[in-house]
Amino acid sequence: MKTFKIIAILCVLSTSFANAQTLNWENQQAFNGHILSLNFGWDYGSSWGIGYGYQLKSSLPIILKADFSTPFGKTNFDDFKVKMGAEIQWFKKGAFAFSTEVDGVFRRFENPHARLLNFGSYMSATAGYYKPKWFVAGEFAFDKAIVTHFKNSAFIHELYPAIVDGWYEPATGGNFSYGIQAGYTLKQNDLTLRLGKVIEQDFETAPTVPLYFQVGYNRRFGNTKQH
Amino acid sequence: MKTKFKILIPALLIAFAGCEKAPSINEEGNLVPKTVEFDASLPAVAVNGTLLHAEAFGNPQDPMVVVLHGGPGSDYRSLLNCKKFAENGYYVVFYDQRGSGLSKRESKDSYSLHTMLDDLTGVIAHYRSSSTQKVFLLGHSWGGILATSYINEYPAAITGAILAEPGGFKWDDIKDYVGRLNSYSFFSETFNDVTYLDQFLTGNEDQQAILDYKLGLAQATDGAPDSPLGNEATPPFWRSGAIVNRSLFDLGKKEEPDWTTHLNEYNTGVLFVYSERNTAYGLSHAQHVSSAYPNVHLEMIRNAGHDMLSFDEGFNNFFPFALSYLNNH
Repeated sequence: MKTFKIIAILCVLSTSFANAQTLNWENQQAFNGHILSLNFGWDYGSSWGIGYGYQLKSSLPIILKADFSTPFGKTNFDDFKVKMGAEIQWFKKGAFAFSTEVDGVFRRFENPHARLLNFGSYMSATAGYYKPKWFVAGEFAFDKAIVTHFKNSAFIHELYPAIVDGWYEPATGGNFSYGIQAGYTLKQNDLTLRLGKVIEQDFETAPTVPLYFQVGYNRRFGNTKQH
Repeated sequence: MKTKFKILIPALLIAFAGCEKAPSINEEGNLVPKTVEFDASLPAVAVNGTLLHAEAFGNPQDPMVVVLHGGPGSDYRSLLNCKKFAENGYYVVFYDQRGSGLSKRESKDSYSLHTMLDDLTGVIAHYRSSSTQKVFLLGHSWGGILATSYINEYPAAITGAILAEPGGFKWDDIKDYVGRLNSYSFFSETFNDVTYLDQFLTGNEDQQAILDYKLGLAQATDGAPDSPLGNEATPPFWRSGAIVNRSLFDLGKKEEPDWTTHLNEYNTGVLFVYSERNTAYGLSHAQHVSSAYPNVHLEMIRNAGHDMLSFDEGFNNFFPFALSYLNNH
């Protein structure tokens, strides 16, 4: 029962963070320690990000993760996203593996008209073929904006004095994404690529740019068995 | 233990009493103003099966100037400077087009370009006091396209037209112009401010309050320093019409309209103005677009961007040309 609870908590946690760290599970299988990552690409905007992961000493491969990303632009850090959660590999047979990730998300948006703060969740499932030097996988994810705080600018308040600032409910947004990830591994280093499509939760409406794209680099620090 | 409960229960009751119910994202009036459908205090006219936010200024017997806003989906708030024509002998009619501003929202599949023309016919009929009353159209941006489409369809119905930077009267011209307008760098703050919002707010076609609010936030680009529009700030607005905007653009892409097919029959002079600061427009595009009319008077409005009628300096530079044109027709 206790194990079930821990797994359930990890699942909930892992659904709330985006998959900023793309991993070669073949190498993670034999690894225990720290992972640092850098990435850039298109994630609802041209953006860059950094990430930290820690692989637990456990029979079931579990990586705790924290990621920060922010879009490019003149104003630094007025828009950003922080994700924290866990990725768990549930199944492995030969080179095939299946994992899920659950993360909690906090994100911020600001433009001249409003500032939005949001708490959300990110859940993903990844199934792929993992070799020591390379991997390719398919991924499916759901990113939910659960609760959002709106603070509108003085300009917007002047245009519409009755506008209501504050925390809004129910959930203000949600997007599905699906695509592929691939990578090349050299010793403690991974070069990774993610690419896919995004569609809103009604499965009909596309966001302004209905794609995601990410190039990443991971560096592992810790104990790795030699293949 | 009892003492703890005695303290805890009132404390909890006070705490809960202090909690206000969180506002709903879907409720009209929270993030965007209510439309005429939900706010009976707004001036409105029932036309062509819908309810339009509309009002008129001046003597109803004077020559009529119908002001057509841009977008599609914007509203007439930014064009209220045009009330000045009412002080100069004109009956000035403003209305938010179908699904725009504070007019009633309709479903996406109910919009058509011809319905927008029928609405205009209805508005003219509602405010016109006699069949001999002159009717001028003053269209800004998309409003200039709508005016031209109307003249192309009903050339005898319109006494004259003032057109301020319509993107084009053929789909290819509109596409070229919009392409230049949207040529932001992928790494720019302005571009990312539009796209980054997509992870915070999503809505289906029935959640128009959310979509309208979202479009309103995106309108910050209209006043951004790196915008080619050249505006001094974001023009004022009531509420953006996201669905009508999406619907009419989709129809444009599908039907690739050409609204110049009968313009050669319209020999009345037309005043065509463009702004000095809109770098996506300029003289060559203005000449190209306006040449669809056989008799056109072209003027550049100095010290103004695309929303030249919304800001004092642009409007003051526009007004003498417009008044002179109206007085001579």
